[in-house]
Amino acid sequence: MLAFFRKYQVPLSCCFCIVLSLYILSASARGQLKNDPIGPLLLWLIRPLQIAAHSATTWIKGVQESHLTAAGYKAENERLRKRILELEMERNRFLEAEATNQQLQHLLDFRSHLPAASITASIIASSASNLFQSCTIDKGTADGVRKGMSVVTPLGVVGRVVDAAARSAKVLLLTDPNSGIDVMVQRTRARGIVSGSLENGTVLKYIKRTEDIQVGDRLITSGLDGVFLKGLMVGTITKVRKETLGLFQVIEVMPAVNPARTETVLVVSAERKSATK
Amino acid sequence: MKLSLLLFAIGLLLVLLQTTFLHFFPLVPDLILVLCVYWGLHHPTVGAVLASFVLGYSVDVVSSPVLGVNALAMSLVFLSVYLSSRSIWLHNHLVSAIVVFLAALVKGVALALASAIFLSSEGFWIAALRYILLEALVAALLAPFVFSLLRRGQTYVEKVQVPGLYY
Repeated sequence: MLAFFRKYQVPLSCCFCIVLSLYILSASARGQLKNDPIGPLLLWLIRPLQIAAHSATTWIKGVQESHLTAAGYKAENERLRKRILELEMERNRFLEAEATNQQLQHLLDFRSHLPAASITASIIASSASNLFQSCTIDKGTADGVRKGMSVVTPLGVVGRVVDAAARSAKVLLLTDPNSGIDVMVQRTRARGIVSGSLENGTVLKYIKRTEDIQVGDRLITSGLDGVFLKGLMVGTITKVRKETLGLFQVIEVMPAVNPARTETVLVVSAERKSATK
Repeated sequence: MKLSLLLFAIGLLLVLLQTTFLHFFPLVPDLILVLCVYWGLHHPTVGAVLASFVLGYSVDVVSSPVLGVNALAMSLVFLSVYLSSRSIWLHNHLVSAIVVFLAALVKGVALALASAIFLSSEGFWIAALRYILLEALVAALLAPFVFSLLRRGQTYVEKVQVPGLYY
């Protein structure tokens, strides 16, 4: 018996891992996985590394941008070039400080429309998979972030928190195929669900063929899903198509927020208060 | 032991790379898959099986909507590579690229299947197919380079003797 286990230890351990994965997957999909000991530990382990890597990336980007800016002055003589480089670097610092200041000012203005419990967080990592669209923020349960809270910016909806560790949280982005946000068309008040799609980008689903939907229509949150406050900008309709068959229209949406260009977000719990500006 | 720890540390580093630096590319190269295939071909131990599972799980923790999808896919990849490695007699760049390509397909199908069953995303299959093929191609192209790096690291670690450590 022992010899059998020893001989087939690798395939047997593979089978064990597969069964364990299926159990975790099934429990997680049904929301029954309450106490996951490994996930928070891994997040705790990887968080400082992610923050360090994020800082390094930001630094490299800054250096690259400074370099590109300086490249335009190659023809000038050495003294002026050095001086310009210094001034340019200084200017970049000021511009960056001004941009950050402006961004935070917008965030503060926007925050005054939200419940007092909203939390400011930075995006520190993105999804490791091409099939799922998510990101990691640097605030967790210790800061008041809870599963199910919405993540927004002054420009609009980013996504919702699907998992929270002590010092970080995973955010499922609006563009993920598994996300779904109850929205309404601002002009006609027609309601539908905005979700990600691997095929067509972000789409607006379940809008009847008879509804009057036009390219350029703005989509706002309806507030009925219990996750997002009413009136937050979700995106703009870019394409409307009616197939020969089918009950609904095929509508493509340009999200209001590009997560790749977002650095700071607000984590908000849904309270019954309109965020319409 | 020493080698297993090194390979696992490399795995965690790859998870970090995939969530930060590599995200600037239009398609994130699946280096974790390449590492698991390497383990399956050249380091088939119980430790490597568990490491593949944990790496898949860590990808789940940082990026999947539900836990266990990538852990399942990585365990399946390891098992299929391990079983097929018994029939592979030739080890060169082309063979490693082909094995990685096929393993990426196994992973992609496992991911799509698990997502279709447990997440019930509409139209996931057709759209996922393009990503699966692209990911498999990128992983296969990178495989020879990553394999040679890992082999060099393995050779180096095997040469270095540390008193008190048995492996």
